[in-house]
Amino acid sequence: MFLYLFMDKKDTFIKAINKNIGLIFKVSSIYTHNNEDRNDLSQEIIYQLWKSFDSFQQKSSLSTWMYRVAMNVAIHNLKMTNRKVSTIPLDEQFINFQDIDNSEIEKKWELLRRHIESLNLLDKGIIILYLDNKSHEEIAHIIGISKSNVGTKLSRIKEKLKKQILNS
Amino acid sequence: MELDDFKNTWDEIGKQVEEKQNFNPKILNKMSKSKFNSKLQKIAIPEIIASIICVGSAIYIGFQFNLLDTSLFKFIGVSTILLFILLPAISLFSVQQLYKSIDINKSYAETLKEFAVQKMKFCKLQKLNITMSYPLLALLMILVTKLFGKHTNDENAYFMIFGFCFGYVVLLFFSKWVFKKYNGIIQQTEDLLNELTA
Repeated sequence: MFLYLFMDKKDTFIKAINKNIGLIFKVSSIYTHNNEDRNDLSQEIIYQLWKSFDSFQQKSSLSTWMYRVAMNVAIHNLKMTNRKVSTIPLDEQFINFQDIDNSEIEKKWELLRRHIESLNLLDKGIIILYLDNKSHEEIAHIIGISKSNVGTKLSRIKEKLKKQILNS
Repeated sequence: MELDDFKNTWDEIGKQVEEKQNFNPKILNKMSKSKFNSKLQKIAIPEIIASIICVGSAIYIGFQFNLLDTSLFKFIGVSTILLFILLPAISLFSVQQLYKSIDINKSYAETLKEFAVQKMKFCKLQKLNITMSYPLLALLMILVTKLFGKHTNDENAYFMIFGFCFGYVVLLFFSKWVFKKYNGIIQQTEDLLNELTA
């Protein structure tokens, strides 16, 4: 019975990860500077999601919960990567994202990343959720600021990005 | 590229990754078995090595303490030992702060605040450590001359003058570079904290 429940939990988790692997890739890419760090962070996010999967109570959507965990792990990881002296051996990298075939999209993605990189950590978190079409309410819930504050900050971030785009 | 293009690219890249990447139970099993913490342990290696050198030096001075014949040298010896213990202790304490586990139930803003406060603390402790290296260098030069100087007073004086000058020039450039870096980080972190508390 226990084994059955465990297998069921594992299957549900794997389905959830496969459905949202793009989310993990995007958050990991925004908070890191190279592919190796991105893969490390993705692993860490999946590991933390698995560890806390029981605590997901379906009060919010799965992707909202995943964003919250992923972004918290990304901030925690920042403390480590800044001081990293040796990297994890390749055979311990279980997640290895393949290159994107479409070079046009890859170019645009790199450009997007570069623009977001210039934002501070708070603005980064807000814009990620905005780009994923989260409502102001959901952004406020994940970030932990008021809904009105989300609106104010978003217009300021958009303004900043527009200026950056024009100048680039 | 407009902001709407950003949204499209965001969606598109996600779809592409989801199409290509297949996360399966095997990967999850391997990940669960692997200890991710080992990666974090590697990060503290420079601090651990430096601490061993410092504590080793403190023990060595302790064993040679009987060679310090005047009250002044004894005072210098004790001060050097204390600094050799205090400096790595501060360093290890600041690194230990980084090891705090993740609380995923916190909001992003709360995690950011905690991160900013820890980062400020870390930078300030590192600055304190470098500042304390100045008296340590002076004390160490005097002790080295006393414990290893078997030459004439003139030769010892030349050694001390050269050692002081060279050591302080290196330390001065190093600390200026580090202070500039840490001051920049502290300023950025303060701005972030102000924004979070606004």
